[in-house]
Amino acid sequence: MATQIHIFGIRHHGPGSARSLSQAFTTLQPDIVLVEGPPDAEVALPLLLHPQMRPPVALLVYVPDQPQQAVYYPFAVFSPEWQAIRYSLQQQIPVRFMDLPQAHRLAIEIEQREDGEGQEEGKEWMSERVSESPSSHPPTHPPTHSPPPNPQSPITNPQLPSPFPLYTDPLTLLAQAAGYSDGERWWEHLVEQRQDSTELFAAILEAMTVLRSEVESQPQALYPIPYTHFESLREAYMRKTIREAEKQGFQKIAVVCGAWHAPALATMPPAKKDAALLKGLPKVKVEATWVPWTYGRLTMSSGYGAGVESPGWYHHLWEQGERGKRTRETSEPTLNSSIRWMAKVARSLRKQDLDASSASVIEAVRLAETLAALRDRPLPGLPELNEATQTVLCFGDPLPMQLIHNQLIVGERLGRVPDETPMVPLQQDLQRLQKRLRLKPEATETTLDLDLRKPLDLERSHLLHRLALLNVPWGKPQSVGNVKGTFRESWRLQWQPEFAVRLIEAGIWGNTVESAATSWTCDRANQANLPDLTQLIDQTLLASLPQAIAHLMTRLQAEAAIASDISHLMTALPPLVNVMRYGTVRQFETEVVGHVVDGLVTRICVGLPVAVASLDDAAASEMYQLVVSVHSAIALLQKSDALEMWQQVLVKLANHQGLHGLIAGRCCRLLFEAGVFQPEDTARRLGLVLSTATEPTQVAAWIEGFLSGSGLLLLHNPLLWHVLDRWVMQLPADAFTATLPLLRRTFSTFPAPERRQMGEQVRQQEERGMENREAEIGKVDSDRADGILPLLAQLLGVSL
Amino acid sequence: MAPAKTNAKKSTPDSQTSDHSHQSSFLREHAEQQFAHELEELATVDSRQRPPSWKLSPWAVSIYLLGGRLENGFEVLPKYIGNRRLMEVAIATLATDRALLLYGVPGTAKSWVSEHLAAAISGDSTLLIQGTAGTSEEAIRYGWNYARLLAEGPSMDALVASPMMRAMADGKIARVEELTRIPSDVQDTLITVLSEKTLPIPELNAEVQATKGFNIIATANNRDRGVNELSSALKRRFNTVILPMPNTLDEEVKIVHQRVESLGRALELPAEVPALEEIQRVVTIFRELRNGVTIDGKTKLKSPTGTLSTAEAISVVNSGMALSAHFGDGALKASDLISGLVGAVIKDPVQDQVVWKEYLETVVKERDGWKDLYRASREIG
Repeated sequence: MATQIHIFGIRHHGPGSARSLSQAFTTLQPDIVLVEGPPDAEVALPLLLHPQMRPPVALLVYVPDQPQQAVYYPFAVFSPEWQAIRYSLQQQIPVRFMDLPQAHRLAIEIEQREDGEGQEEGKEWMSERVSESPSSHPPTHPPTHSPPPNPQSPITNPQLPSPFPLYTDPLTLLAQAAGYSDGERWWEHLVEQRQDSTELFAAILEAMTVLRSEVESQPQALYPIPYTHFESLREAYMRKTIREAEKQGFQKIAVVCGAWHAPALATMPPAKKDAALLKGLPKVKVEATWVPWTYGRLTMSSGYGAGVESPGWYHHLWEQGERGKRTRETSEPTLNSSIRWMAKVARSLRKQDLDASSASVIEAVRLAETLAALRDRPLPGLPELNEATQTVLCFGDPLPMQLIHNQLIVGERLGRVPDETPMVPLQQDLQRLQKRLRLKPEATETTLDLDLRKPLDLERSHLLHRLALLNVPWGKPQSVGNVKGTFRESWRLQWQPEFAVRLIEAGIWGNTVESAATSWTCDRANQANLPDLTQLIDQTLLASLPQAIAHLMTRLQAEAAIASDISHLMTALPPLVNVMRYGTVRQFETEVVGHVVDGLVTRICVGLPVAVASLDDAAASEMYQLVVSVHSAIALLQKSDALEMWQQVLVKLANHQGLHGLIAGRCCRLLFEAGVFQPEDTARRLGLVLSTATEPTQVAAWIEGFLSGSGLLLLHNPLLWHVLDRWVMQLPADAFTATLPLLRRTFSTFPAPERRQMGEQVRQQEERGMENREAEIGKVDSDRADGILPLLAQLLGVSL
Repeated sequence: MAPAKTNAKKSTPDSQTSDHSHQSSFLREHAEQQFAHELEELATVDSRQRPPSWKLSPWAVSIYLLGGRLENGFEVLPKYIGNRRLMEVAIATLATDRALLLYGVPGTAKSWVSEHLAAAISGDSTLLIQGTAGTSEEAIRYGWNYARLLAEGPSMDALVASPMMRAMADGKIARVEELTRIPSDVQDTLITVLSEKTLPIPELNAEVQATKGFNIIATANNRDRGVNELSSALKRRFNTVILPMPNTLDEEVKIVHQRVESLGRALELPAEVPALEEIQRVVTIFRELRNGVTIDGKTKLKSPTGTLSTAEAISVVNSGMALSAHFGDGALKASDLISGLVGAVIKDPVQDQVVWKEYLETVVKERDGWKDLYRASREIG
């Protein structure tokens, strides 16, 4: 009996394909299944039937000593490949992967990178690798590279040479030609109209053959040449695998591949040609394992996904199909899929305390169906359902749709892998780092002092900070007691067993400690608000993650722009300025920060005058601290335009009438120190504030703001001293008593020697004053002098 | 009886429609008169199923609104430029006998869409209830002809039917403009109409039941001050379609340019129509502030409290033109635009001031070729 080869061109991650495929398998009963996928990962396949295995999961193929060289093959329960492998494992027939082994593909990549660094050809070669990745099978790149564009790794540079949709999803293209927005719906209808799914695959093969010959007849524009070459390598390997299976005497060979490849596998060129193509390919050692995946990661939006826009919706369709199968068996009527979907939508809205009554669900389903009719569709698709949801259930508001998108259309499902799964590369990377940096994980607590000027210690510090970011607090930073300077760090190290588990969890972020920490930080940054961001920046700087920093800066700028709370901006500034001034100790690029700092200063200067109006005492003292720290930060910045702008704002604040005294006083003082206000001017201002028209409490607050923390100014500026002195002297008794505690509050903050000096100065002046008074007594208007005598007597404690 | 009256009234617009090409002395014609020709063509081509008492099928209504070429080569002008799906949702809503609420900020063509929908579906856009703070229940239900009421006692003849009642009797679309301006208790009169599809007349122990084809299109706006929020009971009875601001810069520039041109002609302004760049600049500022992000998508911005609708952009350019025509050299310059711009942006003297200043310092100052605008704003600010 001749060998039968059945080619099943599928749509990757298409529930419709998956369903037709399982149906076709049941009728065909193949004795071997060949699946488009990396043969290197075949060892990991048996784990798929493990009871703990729960999709979505991904096959991870990586180079053990360079874990950043890795490829993910995500699978969901509705992936046809997943169903195909499951089927064959359950039927206990052999299943093989037939794609070009990653051992070769990664080797080619590494080679290209090594000799093509920066060269144009090299890049071209690489980019084609990318354009292929979201496309045909799921090989997608580690999350490590995804968030910020990575200058070192051309593989992930997202400059796809104008991604041509054909090889990304040829079936969607056909669907669009037929007037559908969603390839899945189109497929559904095809399946529903044709009972025999084997024939359906024949039809797809036919369509693809035409499509491919069409494209290949006009290659250049649509189809980059290196890509073609690479594809032919892959297809040659697939054919080779098929031939081998044939040779081994299998009778019914089922070949599952992306629809695009189907025609190339249907017509077999001579074996020799393929062998020649595949000869002498470079090779590296690779390993494969399973990692948990999420539906969120399957989507396009996360950057390294498989390009499935709506995994949750596909999951729904798949479930619907499974349910349909059951109800067909029990001959119950199948419920319309849109009803079930709308019910799900309503439930998740209700969970968020949004009204969604059953009556509205009915109306929404009706609207979706009418819309489908208006668009000549037999059944509502996702767009119709979404529009109906928004119109009926959300009252036109697009905001709840975001929730539905996240929870239902994408879905929050998280996969799980069995405990026996081989170790993830992140753990291996950590072990390597531990060896290299001579840091041993020990259960007993040890102390580690680092001198960051030494490269080894610096790297150690980076590692510990990165692990801390990844929620593996191996080392706890200790405050460096008596040692001054920014180049010292002290850690207390203690390895705990649960860190291993956390590392596996963190494995989802990347394959090396650095890349995982980077993508984790970027992810956190996307959700953080301004104060969190500032804190995150601190941590990230310590961990030295330049890519994450770049991303953080973009986020910071975005957040700063919409921040309405000026105090958040003011808190964010000083650490950033510190980075700019002292960042060099940690060998960090300061240019990125400079831009953000400029923006922050501008925004603070614009917003501050409004923000300080009408503050109560507590708010004012907070703002006072902020003004002081921003002032010193701006001084540290040493940028004349920023300083000038800031000083203008301070002048405005100092002139502001209703301002809380604390802040006004400090502004005046800062400007006095900066030399913007001349001593005479300052004295005039002090006098103005201290004049009787001002509320005593306001005056006291002003004085506190003006003087706190530095009695020296008072001691060495006679002009100021004089003004203050005169104010105290002319206070009415009641007001003096009322103000005294407030004044004391300020004066008691001065160090004792300063206070003593002040006392001495007062005494000296008093003595001098007595003499002067005696000398001047002739000129004095005695009537007026009599007026102050009683008070003087009281002050001096003498009786007249 | 009410229907008789309606017919009598309807005969007038019909006669106007027939010879509308000769007669356009009205300041503004109804949609069904202005586009009578298109509606006729569509009706002849349209072979699809029509919901009861619809003049056109939903498909043909969508062509009428969104424009397109018919099989016989007839070109239908687009009435609404923007998201096609929104219009489809609106039409499908009316086809499911749910009432339609067009919601959105001022100046997003809500009333325009409502008028054209009514014209295309019922061939009559005049069954209109204008919502104001003074709209009473009589305006929505019915009133009485008091002379007859006194002379003959309560009867159907003494009843003055509202547009709503006439639409129900004839199976047509009734329009309620500015629903949110109507006091809340009066708004709720609509609840019975929407859920029971009937209008009881307790005085006569009678009712008017809605014939098939009756429906309501309401427009409401969510940004103006002094609006009465819809009660949730009423809101649930509507399908809501939010009409957005124009999608792209080019789309908006096109709309502003066209309107400015036609308005300028109408007001006979001596200034020439401003260069596209100047309009582009105004629209860019409006879009950036409205969206809270710069056009290049790199910098986030605060948004002012005002809506900054396309209509306001039109008026800024217009007033700039008037300034330059009467006080300047006739060519639109930054200094002519700036006062209108500031007036449009700063609606709240405190918050918006900060927004505008930040925008000036972080965006306008840095942008190439915008120095004149920055200087002009410093002069007046």
